[in-house]
Amino acid sequence: MNIRSRTAGAALAMLLLLAPWTRALAADLPPLSHSLTTQPPRPAPTLRLKDLGGTAHDLAQLKGRVVLVNFWATWCPPCRREMPSMERLSQALKGEAFSVLAVDVGEDGDTIDAFTSQFDATPTFPILLDTQSRVMQAWKVAGLPTTFLVDKQGHIVASAIGGREFDHPEMVEAIRGLLKK
Amino acid sequence: MRLFTLTLLAVWGTATHAATDFSVDAETGLASWQTETDGIQVRLTQISPDQARAFYQARGFSAADAERYASECVFMTVVRNIGDTPIRHRLADWRYVSAEQPPRAIRSKADWERLWKQQGVTESARIAFTWAQFPTVQTFEPGDWNQGMTTYSMPRGGQFDPHFAWHADGKLHKGTLEQVRCADEHP
Repeated sequence: MNIRSRTAGAALAMLLLLAPWTRALAADLPPLSHSLTTQPPRPAPTLRLKDLGGTAHDLAQLKGRVVLVNFWATWCPPCRREMPSMERLSQALKGEAFSVLAVDVGEDGDTIDAFTSQFDATPTFPILLDTQSRVMQAWKVAGLPTTFLVDKQGHIVASAIGGREFDHPEMVEAIRGLLKK
Repeated sequence: MRLFTLTLLAVWGTATHAATDFSVDAETGLASWQTETDGIQVRLTQISPDQARAFYQARGFSAADAERYASECVFMTVVRNIGDTPIRHRLADWRYVSAEQPPRAIRSKADWERLWKQQGVTESARIAFTWAQFPTVQTFEPGDWNQGMTTYSMPRGGQFDPHFAWHADGKLHKGTLEQVRCADEHP
């Protein structure tokens, strides 16, 4: 067992220890909704971060694609609830000019690995590390989870605060509408 | 989950009168209070001292610093826009009232941040702390909701009424949750 997997194991043990805590916090949260708040288009702030494997990602390089930018953390119950639907959305739009960037705030790779290893399907989209929460501040995110939809020109055109069911038909339709533009 | 509904009238100045629903999670023993009024839903769920200690120690707080936070009365706080117009919330507008005490403001994230810096809490732990608290200011579009921790300087088992406030349609609105109770050391 290498150091990273041992550390991830320790992180998983910690997650399990904290399970009752998470259970308490998740109790009776509002249901995941599927609304997106459209906004007048405005340029998206810079988003240039490394993913779990150390590969750099730059939103500016994704012009020509519709991008779902999601700010989250493993300790945030609605973030945990909505993430599987983000993967389903990503799969539903596979092959189209669509990308998901999930920006984790303030945590390390081992903590995230321990969390995502609990999923039936490991996320295939990049999980980026905003360890100092500087990108989150630049995007003026006030709480987690917060999600932005960026159009092909690099403009924020919609947002959502709180957990969402990302593969809801209305959400998919809204994204497909942007893909046609 | 057992659900007890208490019909309590909120009275806070010009506050809208709305019922407070009370429930207890049979598994954790932790209680929640929720109300809906004028397009907003507000819910407070007890966080036990042990949960608060575990959460912050897992994020780099020393036992002593985590204990400082856990000595407060901590609630997971959820605000949801259930209406059809945007609402703007400012935590500084909230007050809580307990017997024989004047209304008090909720301790701000900035105040906590000052304390943690004095205590030498690491930056990564302070970042986790900041994002785990309920946002200081936030606008919720219809359907939006958020959650985070709020703290009240109350003893274990102490009872108080949180008075929440929000702006919508250019007006300040107010509401109250009644007879909210801090978690015991061991719920």
